[in-house]
Amino acid sequence: MTSSNKITLRTRRTFMLSSAMFLLATSNALSQSQTSTTIRFGLTPVFLNDDIHLLSVIKNYLESATGYSVELVTRRTYQEVTSLLVSGQIDAAWICGYPFVKFQNELDLLAVPEWNGEPLYQSYLITKFDREASKLADLKGDIHAFSDPDSNSGYLVTKALLQENGLSAESFFKKTLFTYSHRNVIRAVASGLVQSGSVDGYVWEVIREIDPDLVAGTKIVRKSDWFGFPPIAVSKRFAQTKKVNALKLAFLSSSEAEAGRAMLDYLRLTGFVNAKPALYDSVKRNVDRLGALL
Amino acid sequence: MNPLQYLGQLSSLLRVPLMVMLLMAVASIVLSERVLTRLSQNQETYLTALASSYLDGIAASVSPSVVHQDSWEIFDILTRMKPQKATIYAQETVVTDAKNIVLASDIPDVHPTLGQMDPKFGMEFEEEMRLDTVSQLAFAARSIRHNEEIIGKVYVVFDASSLLKERREVLQTLILTNIGLAVLLAAIGFFVVRRMVLPMQILERHLLKAASGGLEFISDVEYPKANREAKRIFGAFNQLVGAEKEREGLVDRLTKEERLASLGRIASGMAHEINNPLGGLLNAADTLKKHGHQEKVRLETVDLIKRGLLGIRDVVQAALVTYRPQRSSRVFTLKDLTDISLLLRSDLGSRAQELKILPVPFDKVFDDLPAGPIRQAIMNLVLNASNASPHGCEIVLSISQSKEGTHLEVKDIAEGLPDDAGEILTAPLKSGIPDGMSGLGLWVVRQIADELGATLSVKPNIPKGTIIAIDIPRRSGEMIHAAA
Repeated sequence: MTSSNKITLRTRRTFMLSSAMFLLATSNALSQSQTSTTIRFGLTPVFLNDDIHLLSVIKNYLESATGYSVELVTRRTYQEVTSLLVSGQIDAAWICGYPFVKFQNELDLLAVPEWNGEPLYQSYLITKFDREASKLADLKGDIHAFSDPDSNSGYLVTKALLQENGLSAESFFKKTLFTYSHRNVIRAVASGLVQSGSVDGYVWEVIREIDPDLVAGTKIVRKSDWFGFPPIAVSKRFAQTKKVNALKLAFLSSSEAEAGRAMLDYLRLTGFVNAKPALYDSVKRNVDRLGALL
Repeated sequence: MNPLQYLGQLSSLLRVPLMVMLLMAVASIVLSERVLTRLSQNQETYLTALASSYLDGIAASVSPSVVHQDSWEIFDILTRMKPQKATIYAQETVVTDAKNIVLASDIPDVHPTLGQMDPKFGMEFEEEMRLDTVSQLAFAARSIRHNEEIIGKVYVVFDASSLLKERREVLQTLILTNIGLAVLLAAIGFFVVRRMVLPMQILERHLLKAASGGLEFISDVEYPKANREAKRIFGAFNQLVGAEKEREGLVDRLTKEERLASLGRIASGMAHEINNPLGGLLNAADTLKKHGHQEKVRLETVDLIKRGLLGIRDVVQAALVTYRPQRSSRVFTLKDLTDISLLLRSDLGSRAQELKILPVPFDKVFDDLPAGPIRQAIMNLVLNASNASPHGCEIVLSISQSKEGTHLEVKDIAEGLPDDAGEILTAPLKSGIPDGMSGLGLWVVRQIADELGATLSVKPNIPKGTIIAIDIPRRSGEMIHAAA
């Protein structure tokens, strides 16, 4: 799948329609979901959501901290998880800043992770470790790997950067493709399948610790400005429910419990904090700048 | 030399194990070839099935992604489907579109994404799977179809080194096993044949010893413990040795008896020869006692006594000449002919026979011929002729010399020489003394002739009688002395 604007727009329109359909068709199911004793928590590849042990650690902590049974819901794309969240089929989800900005009217921030003591992260432009490339212009003509069309660091930031320079991904790169995971972007670049990629800086740094051989095949060409860290979001309609409040408290107090600290250590995070939607203004500016190009 | 001839000249002890090894080598080569061929066929069938399954799986999995030209999905599928611990694994997998543009490869550095596939790489692939034993790689390809339309192709390179290694190991095992078997069978063959030919070797050793005069029994120690056939042969050989030893004993005894008989005849002859003059001497002594005072009678009697004593002296001299041990290899001379004539006078005289020596030789020495054997041979032949001839006849001894040697002939007018006597002289020589001892004299002649390298011949003496001739070639002094 190429990342041409046409396809992206078509995808977006499809998503909007799907969301509307979900809202109407599943209203009964939603009320049942909110009244059940299970917290359905959505996860996206904003972190290493394919690590089974990590999922187990998160589930164990949330269950012990909230008193509810927790069902972790994972999907291949951001869009699928965002749809479930916006439609109320899940109680909360760890999504990217870009979908949060897109659906800011429907979503509230539950908590924002802190990495190195700040609720901020960067987008990295990476290429193969042995390549002579140190700036964006060196990547011209590459086959470029994006993470997800709804990812801020894995798509939006690079698109906005190119736009700032009067370029477009379609003309600057020979071809672009989506791997639907930041880890996969690293794999694609390290293997040589593509010449460069856009990746979440937090994920790249964490993988460098836990799988140094994989990251060793890549190097950073450019680091972006700081953006609000991918947040835990909840549908505004259910933001004040007992379950959601329990979940919020669990995240915000995660550093105080042993299981919570284990989870944070595993995620290489320092904790979760309350944050204002203004944290994502820089993302919103990029969205606004690109406008119809998205 | 022809190898087969060379093989045929080897002893059985080596020939049989060598043939066993040769047969094993031939059998090993044929068997190994069949086993390896079958193994190769099985491996290629297995590899083809494996490649087909893998290609089917890849083609089916990547088909939607090929339609969407989604390089990442194809790459992800290829890396996830790549066996990690298989003995035969896909070393390289490349997926192209219908125009041979590489959509993805599990080794993107070798096959860059969206690049034209390397034509050299493409030429390695054929319709069917191909196994390259040099590079130890197998090449297989499969078209990717979507709605009956070819939308791309999968190329896979398998590492087949494990299969080829297995072939090498099988070959090594076959070679080692066959060498081991060949050596084992050859060793068994060697020991079996050795056991089989051992009795023959023992028999051969005893026969060779017997041929050189050392006839011996095969002892019980040399008898094989469990070989009945060999025991039977050895038993027969020992019987033969026993019979021969008995015969040799008999011959010795007969020889001794003959010697005693000869001694008796000599003593009897001497007694007879001495007795006649002795009787005259006794009479002369009586006459002298009674009429010694008469001068005429005394003189006649003394003359008679002298003649009698001379006769006794002749007899004693003849005995000395004949039976005196030969202390030197004296050569035959004219004097020996005189001796022979003197010695035979008594035997011939008893039959009123006369020995005539023709022509009377003038030379005093005959080619350095040894005196003893020649005298013995001539005397035996003359006595033989005398015995066979009637009273009053003449026996002729002729002797002549030429460049070739000496020719001796004894002629008689007897009825002819019996066949068995003639055979003693001329037929191939048998060992030992002839049966019945009737031809002992002639046998001695034959022995002497053989020792001198002389030729004996028997021919009729026309109109009546027999001529026995001895032709003695001129020989070196050593030979002659050896015969003496």
